[in-house]
Amino acid sequence: MVKMSVDPAKAKDLQICASSNGEKGDSWEETDELQEDRPGLAAAPKQPKPENAVTIAVSTRVLFRTEREQKVFERHGVEEYLRYQIQHENEPFAPGPAFPFVKALEAVNSRLRQLYPQSEELFDIVLVTYNHAHVGIRLINTINHHNLFIERFCMTGGSSPIGYLAAWHTDLYLSADAQKVREALAEGIAVATVFMPEKQTEVSESQLRVAFDGDAVLFSDESERIFKAHGLDKFFEHERQNEDTLLDHGPLKGFLEALGKLQKKFYAKGQRLDCPIRTYLVTARSAASSGLRALKTLRAWGLEIDEALFLAGAPKGPMLEKIRPHIYFDDQMFHVEGAAEMGTIAAHVPYGVAQKRQAGK
Amino acid sequence: THILYGEDECGPREATRPPVLFFILRPQPKPENAVTIAVSTRVLFRTEREQKVFERHGVEEYLRYQIQHENEPFAPGPAFPFVKALEAVNSRLRQLYPQSEELFDIVLVTYNHAHVGIRLINTINHHNLFIERFCMTGGSSPIGYLAAWHTDLYLSADAQKVREALAEGIAVATVFMPEKQTEVSESQLRVAFDGDAVLFSDESERIFKAHGLDKFFEHERQNEDTLLDHGPLKGFLEALGKLQKKFYAKGQRLDCPIRTYLVTARSAASSGLRALKTLRAWGLEIDEALFLAGAPKGPMLEKIRPHIYFDDQMFHVEGAAEMGTIAAHVPYGVAQKRQAGK
Repeated sequence: MVKMSVDPAKAKDLQICASSNGEKGDSWEETDELQEDRPGLAAAPKQPKPENAVTIAVSTRVLFRTEREQKVFERHGVEEYLRYQIQHENEPFAPGPAFPFVKALEAVNSRLRQLYPQSEELFDIVLVTYNHAHVGIRLINTINHHNLFIERFCMTGGSSPIGYLAAWHTDLYLSADAQKVREALAEGIAVATVFMPEKQTEVSESQLRVAFDGDAVLFSDESERIFKAHGLDKFFEHERQNEDTLLDHGPLKGFLEALGKLQKKFYAKGQRLDCPIRTYLVTARSAASSGLRALKTLRAWGLEIDEALFLAGAPKGPMLEKIRPHIYFDDQMFHVEGAAEMGTIAAHVPYGVAQKRQAGK
Repeated sequence: THILYGEDECGPREATRPPVLFFILRPQPKPENAVTIAVSTRVLFRTEREQKVFERHGVEEYLRYQIQHENEPFAPGPAFPFVKALEAVNSRLRQLYPQSEELFDIVLVTYNHAHVGIRLINTINHHNLFIERFCMTGGSSPIGYLAAWHTDLYLSADAQKVREALAEGIAVATVFMPEKQTEVSESQLRVAFDGDAVLFSDESERIFKAHGLDKFFEHERQNEDTLLDHGPLKGFLEALGKLQKKFYAKGQRLDCPIRTYLVTARSAASSGLRALKTLRAWGLEIDEALFLAGAPKGPMLEKIRPHIYFDDQMFHVEGAAEMGTIAAHVPYGVAQKRQAGK
């Protein structure tokens, strides 16, 4: 039998610190009434409702450096892995490749809250992990150590997190596991595998910068298919003939759209020049021969992109090195690896005809 | 497996056991060894029509009606999938530990008069349930029996009785019918719990209600290393954990037929540590933990598809039922308005 002792004395003994956020003016009755029709702990206005926010689900393996722990798991199994994690509970993990991105999201949130204190149109970060709840303590310690504000956790204890992503209204999912990324993509979720850059590069702490490849990332892979099947000349011909036909959308179109929605909130307050979100198109397309279709499509979707680089095949690495995005999305591992070599945080979107394994199936 | 009953057949398979009474499919565990789940007929089966007869026409008419319809099995109620899943776990446990009595034991607890017993037994057999223990109280309160049955969990439809049982220190909840059909697993028992005022006491909710969210976060951080007091369903989670460990001991962690979930409105970074540290100090594992920081629970539960979800707040219970989750209300703690009004 369970003995339930509710000791109201505990509540009365609570000392009210002077350094708290100064609500001394509120009477007990006032606060109580406020909360009366709200369901307990769920009522806080601090966290936005997932459907209002731009929800970014991040895996622990890309938010933090967890290679050592991964090795323990792979070599010695789950019980030893859990023991190791518990032993090192008070040692925060080091930042991983998605860490600067998440920090930048929080910087944008600060600016948004200043301009729109009541709005729920913010970035919302959910930590999604296969980890067992035991590891939660080390993760929370790490989050607090780095001054991150991640309040939403989804610890699946070994089962697939893919099913939860829709429940969280996930707008973008960043993972280290290529297999899970492919599964999520098949479910229609905007997702990418994030890679560690091979050298340290500083990125902005005040302006979120997101760079996108065009075909098979923002747009569908229809044009790449023609290029692969019939070569470059046919590709140009096809693009010119279809100049006024919109391209179909790719997996990350929705995420660019979400960024654009937040950008407009800054423009509405006259902060276009100082906007803390900046987007970049870095495409191998040639401008004169195939650029029209891409730009007309973006315009028809009502999407703006701040900077557009038509490379006509020139290497993307140096461009990205100059841009220093917090993340760069590309569908081709060739470009992702090239970018990572030069210090860019690059993420692979395994979509479309460029995926060799898919072509081989 | 066959149902052996009748005077000609002897029950047990093991030759060493003494002959036992007929009606025994297999030996029933001693209540103190088993995890005893007491279930009311009104949540195990759909009995709304019969309830109406009772309310409108009184007990004599009700009994007549039941006897008339004796051979018509009741339809499954909200607790039916849960009980089926308990039996699936028992099958797995018996394979691994044939001699053990550490199993789920289901007791049908009902106000009903013994006349209705025939219809109940017909129903149980129709649905291939193995419920051998009945407690038919013919109108008097079953609460007193629950302790005698070493009840680890009591599922009822009657909010009043649930409150009485809670006051007696029994782990209990009122089960609600989900508003739409959802399929749940037939091979893996999934039980989801709210945190505060279900697994843990309601002490933190009291602070939140009295002083607001910031004070709550502050209090939780200051008391990070102080364990939370336990709530009404902590013991049941403990019982589930004990059975889970039996599977882990045989190398079946990944294939365990019991899975537990924490679905809490708590925020991870601001108030998660105390909850996780408390669970660990109690030696309780939970398989999946969702810290929602106020996000709606409905979509998460829809994904999990638990056989039952326990929450202390009707707001969450109703929200879950709307989305097809089998939700049960634990009327404990400061969130109960009526309790506050007394």
